[in-house]
Amino acid sequence: MFKVENMSLYYGDKMALENINMEIKEKEVTAFIGPSGCGKSSFLRSLNRMNDLIEEAVTTGSIKLKGSNIYDRKYDVIELRTKVGMVFQSPNPFPMSIYENVAYGPKRQGVRNKKVLKEIVERSLKQAALWEEVHDRLHESAMKLSGGQQQRLCIARTLAMEPEVVLMDEPTSALDPIATQKIEDLIRELKNDYTIVIVTHNMQQAARISDKTAFFYLGELIEFDETTKIFSKPKYEQTEKYITGRFG
Amino acid sequence: MNRVNKRKVIDTSLKVITYIASFIAVIILGAILFFVFSRGSKLLSFKILVTDYHSKPYRLETTVSAKGLSFENPHIKDAYFSENFGFAVKDDYTLEGIKTIRFVYIDDNSPLKTTINEQGEKSPFKEGFIFDSTMRAVLEDESTVTIFSRYGAENLVNVLSDAVGIQTANVKSEGGGIRGSIITTLYLIFLTLIIGLPFGILTALYLHEIAPQNKVTNLLRSFIDMLTGVPSIIFGLMGAAVFIPLTSALFSNPDMKRGSVIAGALTLVVIILPVVIKATESALSVVPKSYKEGSLALGATKTQTIFKIMLPNALPGILSGAILSVGRVIGESAALIFAMGTFIGDKISITGRSTSLAVHIWSVMGGEIPNVTLASTIAIIILIVVLALNMSVKVITNRFMNKYK
Repeated sequence: MFKVENMSLYYGDKMALENINMEIKEKEVTAFIGPSGCGKSSFLRSLNRMNDLIEEAVTTGSIKLKGSNIYDRKYDVIELRTKVGMVFQSPNPFPMSIYENVAYGPKRQGVRNKKVLKEIVERSLKQAALWEEVHDRLHESAMKLSGGQQQRLCIARTLAMEPEVVLMDEPTSALDPIATQKIEDLIRELKNDYTIVIVTHNMQQAARISDKTAFFYLGELIEFDETTKIFSKPKYEQTEKYITGRFG
Repeated sequence: MNRVNKRKVIDTSLKVITYIASFIAVIILGAILFFVFSRGSKLLSFKILVTDYHSKPYRLETTVSAKGLSFENPHIKDAYFSENFGFAVKDDYTLEGIKTIRFVYIDDNSPLKTTINEQGEKSPFKEGFIFDSTMRAVLEDESTVTIFSRYGAENLVNVLSDAVGIQTANVKSEGGGIRGSIITTLYLIFLTLIIGLPFGILTALYLHEIAPQNKVTNLLRSFIDMLTGVPSIIFGLMGAAVFIPLTSALFSNPDMKRGSVIAGALTLVVIILPVVIKATESALSVVPKSYKEGSLALGATKTQTIFKIMLPNALPGILSGAILSVGRVIGESAALIFAMGTFIGDKISITGRSTSLAVHIWSVMGGEIPNVTLASTIAIIILIVVLALNMSVKVITNRFMNKYK
């Protein structure tokens, strides 16, 4: 799905990511782990060019999505973000109704037909396992939902765009264990239809839900392999130290 | 122990100083309100709100005779009735608080019903009209006697009881109202907001969302900040130098060279622009960054994000900026004196001359005899309007905020 070649990221003079090379496979869950400030979130945000929001951010190298470089000047960033959706660390529904939240993306793409929108909202909420809980109050404020529900709403909102990839930036770090459990179940479910890249601080979570795991340290990709391998016999000492909890 | 005592002394004295300072502040503000209300409440009436400023004169076309006439006294309290001329007058005050004689009753067949107006058309005057000049009555021996209104209603009726006719009588309709100034103020608020808000909001959106955050933008920002501190009379000069000729040329109306409501409104637009820009910018900066990121991550364009997410969420702040602006429009006088003139108008049009309430105060205080009472009355009206505006904004903002929170 993604092919990253010699990719580096700078914030002004500061190097945030150095010479990353990796390949993210379709319909797999890829987890990024590493201590705080290691660049894993920056890398995730590079995948849908959210780093463009930071004025001083400069990216070199290439990230290819299905063969075309997303950092190519001709590549349409809006197009990219409809294909590569993103769920953020803390739930960030818009202060609108549940319905409007899910319909927001499609509407911006010019979908005006109410019937179509209704179908999209229903499908997305069902996919995000939220339909049962909210189907009778779609027009109430999304801000009234619990944190876990809000996060699933944000996932539904992303799914409404029918993306190919869903990026998740520590999606459960602001949630309680039960809500976390639900999100993890959901990720396992979504894997069948979507490519998922998830940044997590929680090693157990990475072990539970991911197929592949990438370990980042000080802006470098140290190790990238099958999750089972990373957690059973990592090649590098740093990886082992981190996953056994000796630092980080 | 000593240290504890010292601390206690310092704490107590600081506390006492705060109490005293806030007490003095409250007393001063209270005193202003007390002054305005005690002086102004005397003239406060519904009538002053709906009456024109300029009174219309009425006079008799020819000498009227009361020979053989006798009218029935309607017995109005405190009023003096003239049986031979068929009207009742009483001592009263004008809307501006000046002592005068008021006609409280006129019989349909009264000879005074033959008055004409300024244009010379037949226009019988009505009850409520005032008499504040002179009247010349004809006595039986055909000599005439002049009656001065300053001697009061009783004197008028007494002299007329011996008269057989009236040669001249100058009466006028009630004036001194502030209807025109109220309407002008509303016009100014409407025009200023309808022109100023879009400009201000879009400028703020540009500065906050679109412009590259560099030195040029910051310079622009501090320039706008500086404008909030410029004395408004300077804006008035600009209004007189730029907007008056400009509007006069635009409407190709040479009368507008003396100032017009639209020139005043344009000047006010310049005055409120920095206020609106500041308020909108600070409202935009409190919109959570996560909303913006969320929107962009969903494939919305920057422009869509600005207008669908940033702007709606900044609306309560923009609204309070708008209200601040309304406050400035209502309170502005110096700039308007230059850009709009000080002619108190009754027929209000965008291209005509008239005053806002604040300039009306300036006008009544600027005459030979400053009318503090009337000025205070207008001040009360301004205070009430501002209070009502503030409350309505709170209600609107709360409704808006509660909808999705």
